[in-house]
Amino acid sequence: MPGRHRKTSPLKNPSKAYLAFGLEGSANKLGAGVVKHDKDGSTTVLSNVRHTYITPPGEGFLPRDTAKHHKEWALKVIQDAVEKASTTIEQLDCICYTKGPGMGAPLQSVALVARTLSLLYDKPLVGVNHCVGHIEMGRLITGAQNPVVLYVSGGNTQVIAYSRQRYRIFGETLDIAVGNCLDRFARVINLSNDPSPGYNIEQEAKKGKRMVQLPYTTKGMDVSLSGILTSVEAYTMDKRFKPDAVAAEVNDEDIITPADLCFSLQETIFAMLVEITERAMAHIGSKEVLVVGGVGCNERLQDMMGIMANERGGQVFATDERFCIDNGIMIAQAGLLSYRMGQETPLSESTCTQRFRTDEVHVAWRL
Amino acid sequence: MASSSTTPLTPTQVLLKSATIVSQGAEAKVYKAYLRHHGLGKTAISTRTGTGDVSDVQNNESSGSELDVAPVLIKYRFPKQYRHPSLDGSLTRARVAGEARALLRCLRSGVQVPGIRFVDATEGVLGIEWIDGKSVRMLLPGGAEAEDDEGVGPGDDEQVDEAEDEADEVDPLVEFGVSRDQLMSMIGTEIAKMHQADIIHGDLTTSNMMLRRETGDLALIDFGLAYHSTLTEDKAVDLYVLERAFGSTHPDSEPMFSSVLEAYQKYMGKDWNVVKKRLEDVRLRGRKRSMVG
Repeated sequence: MPGRHRKTSPLKNPSKAYLAFGLEGSANKLGAGVVKHDKDGSTTVLSNVRHTYITPPGEGFLPRDTAKHHKEWALKVIQDAVEKASTTIEQLDCICYTKGPGMGAPLQSVALVARTLSLLYDKPLVGVNHCVGHIEMGRLITGAQNPVVLYVSGGNTQVIAYSRQRYRIFGETLDIAVGNCLDRFARVINLSNDPSPGYNIEQEAKKGKRMVQLPYTTKGMDVSLSGILTSVEAYTMDKRFKPDAVAAEVNDEDIITPADLCFSLQETIFAMLVEITERAMAHIGSKEVLVVGGVGCNERLQDMMGIMANERGGQVFATDERFCIDNGIMIAQAGLLSYRMGQETPLSESTCTQRFRTDEVHVAWRL
Repeated sequence: MASSSTTPLTPTQVLLKSATIVSQGAEAKVYKAYLRHHGLGKTAISTRTGTGDVSDVQNNESSGSELDVAPVLIKYRFPKQYRHPSLDGSLTRARVAGEARALLRCLRSGVQVPGIRFVDATEGVLGIEWIDGKSVRMLLPGGAEAEDDEGVGPGDDEQVDEAEDEADEVDPLVEFGVSRDQLMSMIGTEIAKMHQADIIHGDLTTSNMMLRRETGDLALIDFGLAYHSTLTEDKAVDLYVLERAFGSTHPDSEPMFSSVLEAYQKYMGKDWNVVKKRLEDVRLRGRKRSMVG
């Protein structure tokens, strides 16, 4: 570009060390954590505490019960997080909480806790977009500079790239989220929700061999998943479906086991995700890809993404469950970044919202 | 081409070996080759072994004409290692055949698309007319930023703006003798023609349109996700995908899309109303406006 010069990052090294406290509770995970930004520009995770609301097999988590869970555990989780960070709430610089998107009731209960803390200890509040929290956490942990981001979780499925101080959404699901699709199928075949239905699908899929045919529904850079869920559910009504058969032990070609269905479901959905991510990479000419969100810790997805990135001469960045799955430090990290840019949420505006798009956030801290 | 290999290759594989890679797109590798039989004594087939520099290949265009053969573009859907082989195989076959079918239908209906030269679905190879020109994406503001040699993607395009504001910046469209308005109207018209032929492109982006250097005509390319459908829904989604692509690729150019729609409306005539209504529905759907948890 003519007359082009590289600007320095708008985020200056702080004049003192900053401590931020993050509170997350947009879904069934209640998380709290403390993050520290040092004078030399380095970032340290001081604590990362999480408690998950786990429902019995066959059941999802309902907003009201989830909110109740968060209320019950809030004090314990906060105390743990502060103690593990060997600090006190007095020493914190700001309290960051999830403003949205997420389930209404759990969001409200966590925002209430954040407001109370803020008033009790006279600390500024910072409302954080959940998705931006994921992206910033992923960038921090992996050191990826400017990747195409695949954000896959129970509530969101998006392909995101950064441009002009916004995280722009290139592709997303047209109906349900990937995690939602996997979780609901886990319910259909009665898999445990502990530690998470997605994890159990992943383990089950490792035993599957037979690939059943499922719809492959990409539309440009978007995907549609609800039809696949219906279709894979239909296989459980199939005459060949044997709910009790263990795939590895049966060589009869003409049966379908739950493991086979998990395998087929993962292979199909993940292939679609990798494809739209690749499409986005090709479209904007990026070679880095970062996978974040709860489904992002699925190793099969990471593998497939790695193979794709390799074929393109690029690189994949992913994190493990500590940072992939919803947590408090991602909120603290994104919150502190915006706090250092002078963004604060006054008490009167410290609301939360179920609808909060990733591209609504002004990413002031990036070039 | 002196054939040194002893294993028998299918004609398609022979051609692929002789071809020069142009780029690796999202799902296929694109090659440039010359359909000249290798048994003709002449070393007719290009022996260049470039590694995908598009501009290099396009500048060397003349080396094709000296052989007096028109070049063809080969779209090779190589096996994707990340995909399950059976899924990959059936997808590839279906896509090659589907792409050829859609192109053919477009050609019959007078939509500006590249002509078909040959099809080999099992190998995943489609040979089409080589269009000399430029991608529309590169001709619009914001679209060229990924070409940035720093390889940082669209991350730091703030400066691009400033550069474009400078008066001496040459509009790349001048070279084609087309104004931006004309370009938008051509886009709208070609899409309308295609939709009237009941072809849905499936991946309308500004990268998938080219201006021909010679005539300044617009051609729609990459029918990899195209299919046949009479449904208003599909046409609306097609337009919606393009609207999104405009929005995410050319951030300041969103009004351009309305002139695309204007031309589309003109060509569609009375069919426009249903598409328009459905497009509004599609926009509201799918969490595009407000994202729920």
